[in-house]
Amino acid sequence: MTVLARIDDLYISFGGVAAANGMSFAVNTGEFLAVIGPNGAGKTTALRMVAGILQPDSGRIIFNDRDVTSLPTHVRARLGLGFTHQVVRPFYSFSTIENVMIAAGHRQTESPWRALAGRSREEARMKAAAILEHIGLGEQIDKSPRALPLGQRKRLEVARAIALEPRLLLLDEPLAGLSSAEAATMADLIRTLPASGITVVLVEHNLGEVLRVADRIVVLDAGKVLAEGAPKEVMARDDVRQAYTGVV
Amino acid sequence: MLFVELAVTGLVYGCMYAMMAVGLTLVYGLLRILHIAHAGVFALGAYVAVVVANATGSLALGFALALVVSAIAGVAIYRFAYQPLLGHPPFVPMIVSIGLFIVMQEGFRMVFGAYGIAFDDNPWYTSTVAIAGINLNYVEIAMVISSVVLLVGFGLFASLTRAGIGWRATVTDPQMATSFGVDPVRVRYVIFLFGSALAGIAGALVGLLNNYVEPTMGGLVSYKALAIIVLGGLGNVRGTLLASLVLGVVESYGTIYLADVFDRDAIGFLFLIVVLMVRPQGLLGRG
Amino acid sequence: MSAYVASIVSVVGINMILALSLNIITGFCGQVSLGHAAFYGIGAYTAAYLSKLGVALPLTLLAGTITAGLIGVVVGLTSLRVRHDFLAVTTMGIGFVFLGFVRKQKWLGGELGISGIPASGLDPLAYALLIVGAAAAVIAFTVWLKRSWMGFTFDAVADDEDAARTVGINVSTYKLTAFGIGTALAGLAGGLYIYFARIILPDTFDFVQSIAILTMVVIGGTGSVWGIVASTIALTLLPEVSRAASDYRLLIFGAMLMLVMRFSPDGLAGLVRRRTTP
Repeated sequence: MTVLARIDDLYISFGGVAAANGMSFAVNTGEFLAVIGPNGAGKTTALRMVAGILQPDSGRIIFNDRDVTSLPTHVRARLGLGFTHQVVRPFYSFSTIENVMIAAGHRQTESPWRALAGRSREEARMKAAAILEHIGLGEQIDKSPRALPLGQRKRLEVARAIALEPRLLLLDEPLAGLSSAEAATMADLIRTLPASGITVVLVEHNLGEVLRVADRIVVLDAGKVLAEGAPKEVMARDDVRQAYTGVV
Repeated sequence: MLFVELAVTGLVYGCMYAMMAVGLTLVYGLLRILHIAHAGVFALGAYVAVVVANATGSLALGFALALVVSAIAGVAIYRFAYQPLLGHPPFVPMIVSIGLFIVMQEGFRMVFGAYGIAFDDNPWYTSTVAIAGINLNYVEIAMVISSVVLLVGFGLFASLTRAGIGWRATVTDPQMATSFGVDPVRVRYVIFLFGSALAGIAGALVGLLNNYVEPTMGGLVSYKALAIIVLGGLGNVRGTLLASLVLGVVESYGTIYLADVFDRDAIGFLFLIVVLMVRPQGLLGRG
Repeated sequence: MSAYVASIVSVVGINMILALSLNIITGFCGQVSLGHAAFYGIGAYTAAYLSKLGVALPLTLLAGTITAGLIGVVVGLTSLRVRHDFLAVTTMGIGFVFLGFVRKQKWLGGELGISGIPASGLDPLAYALLIVGAAAAVIAFTVWLKRSWMGFTFDAVADDEDAARTVGINVSTYKLTAFGIGTALAGLAGGLYIYFARIILPDTFDFVQSIAILTMVVIGGTGSVWGIVASTIALTLLPEVSRAASDYRLLIFGAMLMLVMRFSPDGLAGLVRRRTTP
């Protein structure tokens, strides 16, 4: 088992409150890792630091044997670090398929000069259409994201991230706000990602779905790792139960 | 002595900028609109003052009417130009505001002529008084006094009265304020009323100060006022007041020490650009 | 008569380049600029200064274009620090800084500007055709850009910068590219202008000029190409067809800005689109 990404002793605080307080864990190639923990444990913060949206005060982030701690978000995205926002952020002026095409055309958008020279969007369109079909949005490709219900917008967010062909996909609460049926469908969908070569880190509150789909779990509490391991073992630990419920 | 004199002149200008900029920053804080047509209200105040004063011989009446007319004009601008556009991205009302300002400026040119009007009788302009060895004319003193009185009065209103607290709440959190029974629409009217009255008085005073009122007089002052509200951290009243005085003083020194490189109007903006590059959120941060 | 036609055609062509170049920055990439006339001025002053030293026409145009573009990239750096309303006021300020600077420079003629600019060597009609050719090239380039991946990427940056970063777009580079291209083309317009006018005054490049350029963009439809081409022709010819329209040119511009924004914020292009697509 090889390590794809590792966060190493991360610290970050907002207005004196530490959201990451010596946080370290590793992500193995090809696994489906879920990061859970009570509110304020630093889960979303951890993901945002890995994606480059937040800069840690100290510590290192290693991806694919490379120190990416000081690289900007777009460079990390190109290195294969995909990210989906907790609150969906589609391009509202684009149609659904264009949202995915702009990511699918990442080779064309790499430099302005290549972007100016290239005009054909066919390849990107085909790639985007295939991804949308796979993710269950095949009927919606020409609609505006505004016209999509939340469940479909969440899928669009995942589709756009997949179109970047990431090696590691960071999903920030993709099930939040969905009905239980929608959540189950979404969970089934992202569960298939490792099989297509995408390692997944999932931050999620919906413990039922997490325990159903994750290979391994990292439990965060107060900005550090409290426990990690196979879902059933981890959830059986007293300290984990206490962190969650406040009782033993 | 020159050093002190420049600081005093700068502060006088700073007071004038403050009277313009407070209205702009309140409008921005409440509606996120860059209210460029505020310049038109400023010039309107000056025109009303000069026309009425010349016709009746009473400067006091001229100022009183300047205050009333510009306040009404401000409310009308909100009602007819901005209110229908509140749902649009900020770019849209800003362009409308530019359009409205151009229309007002051209309107003044058509009605009052391109060459401007002087006050027939402007006793304050020629009377000076020496304070600590620095000569100030009465208009300059009136500028400082009226800005201090009006702005302090406004500050007391905002922090002590029920209505004032209510609309400060509206600026911070409209929904919360509404649920406590504050009418947000009325707050907007009050802000346009008050801000425009201030601008009108500032315009009338600048008219006296230059002893001259012309169609384009609002332009530069309001562009600088825009720079000031950005410097102060858009929507931040305290930052705006500080930035007004700072800009007045910076310009005052700059006019002497940078005279060979830039003109007076460029100095303010140069200062703005330099500050923004170091502190993108403005001097005191966003309100 | 033909000299008159040549002069109108020249002005239309120059305005078209100005409007389309601002459209790249504001329309395509979503970065509001209220100081575009400054780059028009930088191109004009560079070309005029060099032409007086005896530099030949193609080189003066090239120098004007490059100088405006380089300064434009530097100014574009501000767009990386401040956004939206802050940027609008900052770019407005850049216009005033430019004017305040040239007005005080003796070597650039101060308030009196630069006069006695050498002739282009072409007769007025041929020179007007040169301008039209340049405008046509700019139209073609803009149409290409809009449909290219660069246009697509600009749309993404204009829509949501943070989302653009998560799909691997280098937002800063693209913004600077928009500023660089847009301001360089404004510089080209400035260079073309000097051989037409033969004299330049600082006030030609003032805030009102910036607003006039913006008016053409907004009325044509921010981000469109053909709408802007149409609005440029209409707004430039308007003062020529009637004496009244020429006296009240600014009044009409102002009123149109208000009315168009009030009733069709996406300009003529949006109006046409809504008529044709039910």
